[in-house]
Amino acid sequence: MRFVRVLNREIQESKRTLFIYSLTIFLVLFFQEMVGAFVTRMTGNIISDSVYEGSYPGFLFLGGFIITSMVFAQDMFSRTGQHNWLTLPASTEEKFLAKALLTAIAYPLVLTVIFTLSSVVIEALALLFFGNPFTMFNPFGPYVGKMILHFIATQSIFLLGATYFRKAHFVKTVLALGLIGFALSILATIFVRIVFAPYVTGMFGFHISLNAYDFQNHANLVTIGEWIGNIVYWALLPAFCWFTAYLRVKEVQSTDAVQ
Amino acid sequence: MIRMKNIRFHYGKKPLFANMDLDIPKGNIYGLLGMNGAGKTTLLKLMSGQLFPLEGTSSVLGYDPVKRNPDMLADLFHLPEEFLLPRMRAEEYLAINAPFYPKFDHAALHRYCMDFDLDLTQKLNELSFGQKKKFLLSFGLASNTGLLILDEPTNGLDIPSKSQFRRTVASAMTEDRTFIISTHQVRDMENLIDPIIIVHSGKVVFNSDLATIAEKLTMQLERTEPDTTNCIFTEKVPGGWMAVKERQADEEETSIDLETLFNAVVSNPAPFAFSFPQQGGLA
Repeated sequence: MRFVRVLNREIQESKRTLFIYSLTIFLVLFFQEMVGAFVTRMTGNIISDSVYEGSYPGFLFLGGFIITSMVFAQDMFSRTGQHNWLTLPASTEEKFLAKALLTAIAYPLVLTVIFTLSSVVIEALALLFFGNPFTMFNPFGPYVGKMILHFIATQSIFLLGATYFRKAHFVKTVLALGLIGFALSILATIFVRIVFAPYVTGMFGFHISLNAYDFQNHANLVTIGEWIGNIVYWALLPAFCWFTAYLRVKEVQSTDAVQ
Repeated sequence: MIRMKNIRFHYGKKPLFANMDLDIPKGNIYGLLGMNGAGKTTLLKLMSGQLFPLEGTSSVLGYDPVKRNPDMLADLFHLPEEFLLPRMRAEEYLAINAPFYPKFDHAALHRYCMDFDLDLTQKLNELSFGQKKKFLLSFGLASNTGLLILDEPTNGLDIPSKSQFRRTVASAMTEDRTFIISTHQVRDMENLIDPIIIVHSGKVVFNSDLATIAEKLTMQLERTEPDTTNCIFTEKVPGGWMAVKERQADEEETSIDLETLFNAVVSNPAPFAFSFPQQGGLA
């Protein structure tokens, strides 16, 4: 019951911002679709690419990562805003879960609904004004579900960044990811240079030839690697990020406020 | 109600509290006084779990404030000196926040808001700082929490509102509640706060009720400069010298001027050890 109150409080306090964001999405889609419909009407060339399918990943990932990065900014790091959240009569788990679930689960679902409803309205208008509606957004398309799952996995990194960095959460998370990626690629290069030393023919030269027998043997290794990668990506990464972010929320205090 | 023992806290390398002890029993309007930077706000934040002590133990309403237990927070309302209110109407704010406080009294809130001349249909972001403060104060009083912490509550209030503040706070007080009011404007709080707690140099140097102070000390305005050897404290004031002396058995009790008491304590806390019964002090 108390958790529902925390969720409700989160939604009520950000509903104005969410309304503006939803309206922005609608207007972007509306503008793109109307231009497409107008061009089609004038030139007779049908633009087959769906505006919705093209815009959805951008709003889902980029928009979602930015929103996630900002979700703790005021409540954890604002001198004046932090007080309300820290003294709110709810447990740290409830406060953290409310924000985490809203950004990881509710955001992609609501975005999908907004895209669907927008497409219904926009295509009806396109039919009315130009007589040539395009395809509507299909929320049950196979790529939508898959993208949402990828979003939930990768969003956890930005959730951690939102609790770890005190300012410029999104930019710092992206920079940190870049640095980690760079460090990992150097380590991978060194690993390959050592393990596959006989195949290295020069500074940048690398020669390896696999016959059918070798490939058969290595295919098992590839499968194992893929399996480990899947576990890391789908389970370990989100679990690690969520748990670390929770611990960060648990230990936040007034001295963390900077803005 | 509140027990803090051997508290050590500092910001960066600058020490603020060292081995600080504080005991606050239930059922009074405590005045927390201290100079700027003495640590009043920090002490209040330590009580409400917004800051964690580096050493020492605390118990607030029977809970460790560091754990920010929801039951503790539901029985505690802390009005900070600076705050942020969301962009929404007062009644919307009530709808989403009041349910967190099980003893919240909506009728009382409307009464307090009427006393402060506040309109609940107004948007919170359109209110002045003083009006916002009065709204939050009304909310805090109506929450009926066992512990109400007010940090510089009269800052930003106009003169009529300060009088109304005293009346409203006094009317909301019950024997089950404890109010802690931090202020450096003691004139605003006269006839409201009792006992008095004074924080100075990283410690609680004074913790006593006014009756005990009046029993132990006299405060008199003298026309000529008094002999300082007989005085605990003297200070030049308009019209003469204010002298704080140890009260003799045959002397009548005098009224206590909080500003003079505060100045006397922070200038030399040693004679005021009587305010801690276990430490002795004046006879």
